[in-house]
Amino acid sequence: MVARWQAELGMAAFLAVIGVITITGALEYGVGWSPSGPEPGAFPFYMGIIVLVASLANGLRAALPLLRPGLWAERPFLKPEQLRLVLGFTLPIFGLVVASLMLGLYVGMALYLFGTLVFQNRYPVLKASLIAGAAPVFAYFLIERTFRVAMLKGPLEAWLGL
Amino acid sequence: MDGFSGLLHGFGVALTWYHVTLMVVGVLLGILVGVLPGLGAPNGVSLLLPLTFTMDPVSAIILLTSMYWGALFGGSTTSILFNIPGEPSSVATTFDGYPMAQNGRATEALSFAFLSAGFGAIVGVLLITALSGWVTQFALKFSSPEFFGVYFLAFASFVGLSGAPPLKAAVSIALGFSLAAVGMDSVSGSLRLTFGFDVLLAGISFLVAVIGLFGIGELILTIEDGLKLDGIRAKITPRDVLRTAAQMPKHWATLLRSSIVGCWMGITPGGPTAASFMSYGLAKRFSAYRANFGKGEPDGVIAPETADHSAGTSAMLPMMALGLPGSATAAVMLGGLMIWGLNPGPMLFVERPDFVWGLIASMYLGNVVAVVLVLATVPLFASILRIPFAIIGPLIVVVCFIGAYTIAGRPFDLWLALAFGALGYAFKKLDYPIAPLILAMVIGDKAEDAFRQSMIMSKGSLTIFWSNPLVTSLMLLGLVLLFWPLIGAMIQRLRSARA
Amino acid sequence: MARRFGMALGFLAAGMAGAAAQGWQPSKPIEFVVTSSPGGGTDNFTRMIQSIIMKYKLIEQPIVVSNKGGGSGAEGYLVSKTAAGDPYKVIFGTNNAYLLPYVAKLGYKFSDLTPVAALALDEFLLWVKADAPYKTAKEYIEAVKAKPETYKMGGSQSKDTDQTLTSILSTVTGAKFIYVPFQGGGAVGTQLAGGHVNSHTNNPNESIGQWKAGQVRPLCVFSPARLPAGPKVTETQGWADIPTCKEAGIPVERFQMPRTVWLPAGTPPGAVQFYEGVLKKVSETPEWQEYITRTVQTGQFLSGDSLKAFVANDDKLSREVFEREGWIVK
Repeated sequence: MVARWQAELGMAAFLAVIGVITITGALEYGVGWSPSGPEPGAFPFYMGIIVLVASLANGLRAALPLLRPGLWAERPFLKPEQLRLVLGFTLPIFGLVVASLMLGLYVGMALYLFGTLVFQNRYPVLKASLIAGAAPVFAYFLIERTFRVAMLKGPLEAWLGL
Repeated sequence: MDGFSGLLHGFGVALTWYHVTLMVVGVLLGILVGVLPGLGAPNGVSLLLPLTFTMDPVSAIILLTSMYWGALFGGSTTSILFNIPGEPSSVATTFDGYPMAQNGRATEALSFAFLSAGFGAIVGVLLITALSGWVTQFALKFSSPEFFGVYFLAFASFVGLSGAPPLKAAVSIALGFSLAAVGMDSVSGSLRLTFGFDVLLAGISFLVAVIGLFGIGELILTIEDGLKLDGIRAKITPRDVLRTAAQMPKHWATLLRSSIVGCWMGITPGGPTAASFMSYGLAKRFSAYRANFGKGEPDGVIAPETADHSAGTSAMLPMMALGLPGSATAAVMLGGLMIWGLNPGPMLFVERPDFVWGLIASMYLGNVVAVVLVLATVPLFASILRIPFAIIGPLIVVVCFIGAYTIAGRPFDLWLALAFGALGYAFKKLDYPIAPLILAMVIGDKAEDAFRQSMIMSKGSLTIFWSNPLVTSLMLLGLVLLFWPLIGAMIQRLRSARA
Repeated sequence: MARRFGMALGFLAAGMAGAAAQGWQPSKPIEFVVTSSPGGGTDNFTRMIQSIIMKYKLIEQPIVVSNKGGGSGAEGYLVSKTAAGDPYKVIFGTNNAYLLPYVAKLGYKFSDLTPVAALALDEFLLWVKADAPYKTAKEYIEAVKAKPETYKMGGSQSKDTDQTLTSILSTVTGAKFIYVPFQGGGAVGTQLAGGHVNSHTNNPNESIGQWKAGQVRPLCVFSPARLPAGPKVTETQGWADIPTCKEAGIPVERFQMPRTVWLPAGTPPGAVQFYEGVLKKVSETPEWQEYITRTVQTGQFLSGDSLKAFVANDDKLSREVFEREGWIVK
């Protein structure tokens, strides 16, 4: 089980890192006040400072239970059951992104749809293939043919000469 | 030719079978691109542009603007039903539209959205019709300090309302501004916060962020609750629509205020997206049911929709009269205008009254056509919602990623959408407000540019922000709104002290 | 009649010559990469060409136009790097193709691009507000010199053509401006009409509407010769009535922005020839001529060596300015 305070602490740490990254990036371009107004880095610099300082404060608040056990400890963020559901949903999306980048969005979405329908939702293979096959074709005609927008393509499309 | 006679002439131009057919086609195509996240009105309009090169300019602009109206309406549909804004300007519609739909009031939410949008659009056109000359003069008064004032005002009227812990709200806002700063800095011409990564060159598109934070983030939340996307029955009958329409007059204050906000932001031009946020913020501030906002308050749908559409329509005026696009879509149309051989500028009204007044008349007609057509498509979307979540869930995911890619054709945006999805989920669960982050991303860049341009003009002196009555009142109004919670508390204390 | 027949013969001959040189032909859809956002000058340029190609069926394969205007267009030019050797990506831009890598740290070099052609030169003019007291460019420059760093010159973007021209102007005349960068020529034009800046150097197309309306007024054109006479723009004046800046006593011979077409480096030479031929035909259509006249650009088809020479010259000129201003990043 992930406790609420752990999640809060994790998020605060993540945001603090983002703040530090922003500050270092901004320092490259000067953060002062030149005769013609603020230098290019000034604005992101102060925004980075706000993110960093506010996140540190949020982190401190989240860490209170460490000092006083029993304060928030029982407040859950994710129950194991929920964690399973969330991972079950997000991991295939991760797969979709990886597959799309390697094989193109059409193939990626077909694989993703087929996978989630068959393995997660126990759809019959035939019905799932039908949906997974129809979606990319529909998307192709709508987006590439009707609206003439280029889609992310992979080796299959190159082979088909599309 | 101006005002009434011009308009009559315009109706003569616009009311032909050919033009009405173009309106219907344009609106339908617009609804289609509006519904798909990522494929927005600017895309749609630029895709149609080459087709219009061989058309008469009046017919061409009628087709393009009708598509724009259609897209604005279509964008609200998905905002309300799926919490995925199909258009950037319908982000604020999700705040109360989606909760309303979840409470089984989808029909009502959609009807409110479309009717108030139609109302806003008509107010926008009325303004153009009646005051075109005066408005153009007014818009010429705007320079960088005034623009900064406008963005400041929009920002001030929205922040401080989320009820989130202040430190977390501060993080959201500052993070949004930092994200907006990534990429080419147009004032200095140098690249910022790209750390040598070419993928960050073009900046982080706030549309990708919206798709992730709202669309995917919301889906993860739905899954976690073990909830299915059901209970949203959006069967529309003419009676339901009429019943909602009958309620509209009750919301006159919101309608009026939001139209003013929208027209103001359309003309200055601050853009429809900022207008919808500002209007939502003001509606919440002045509402007697403040606590209900975010949980399905009709005013929370009416306000952004009215402002969005009145800004969208009134932005046509600075486009034609000044050559100044008030929205991304207006920028594309401006390009079209030049290709058709028309020169935007005050003389356009004198030289080509058929074009100007034909367009204005078509805006009345086009928006009426759009309201009717978009109401007609609701049963279609309602039927989509009856599909089991096992299928519709993954399909929405796919649509989100197609959308994220088509925004700019960048593979990297797929990763960004995923990352923003995770961030949106975590933010929601940990009470970090998302809306201020989006608003900061939308106006951050422009506000910073305006500020720094002002500083270049004044050689670094801040006094430029109270150098004339216009900018002074903008800044003062912004400050009052920003500190309204404090001021309100003070007034309260004074009153109770006196009692 | 005879002339038309002759023209038809000419076309036929050209077609046969094309068939004889039958080298490379596209066999799948082509992507036109626009290095500006929708509605920008480069976007109009590309979509005009696309519509002419479609109308005359100069390319059989479908064409997809995609806007990659991020980072002042750098995003579009980066395609040359990621799609090196791909003849199905045609990149449309301006002179920023070779100038951008100087002022920003970018992931592509100019050598990643293969030049195909330039189809037009966009002109620059010096504009002031209509009710400004200056009759000539010389008078205005003298006024600026009298009070250095008080007159505001508006322009679009930073370290781009407008600011380069402003810098050249300052160097040759000694007049020091405050340069204020805005987003696009439309915004700059409005700022001048509203009296928030004192002058700008917009392209004719960007300010014609305001000139017509008597809000702004051109002083001179940065071109070696006067613009072609067309119909009068205002009651009394047309484009040809504007003196060249040299005539007006400002020693800037020429400043023009080429509208260019590129392919990624490493594309087969046949493909370069193919697109060159197509674009040449585009530039000869009446639609193209009309577009050029309407937008008051100078139609000039450059390819091969003439293009290389133009680029080399323009590159040298701009580089000098960049070095002087200290804009070059290492």
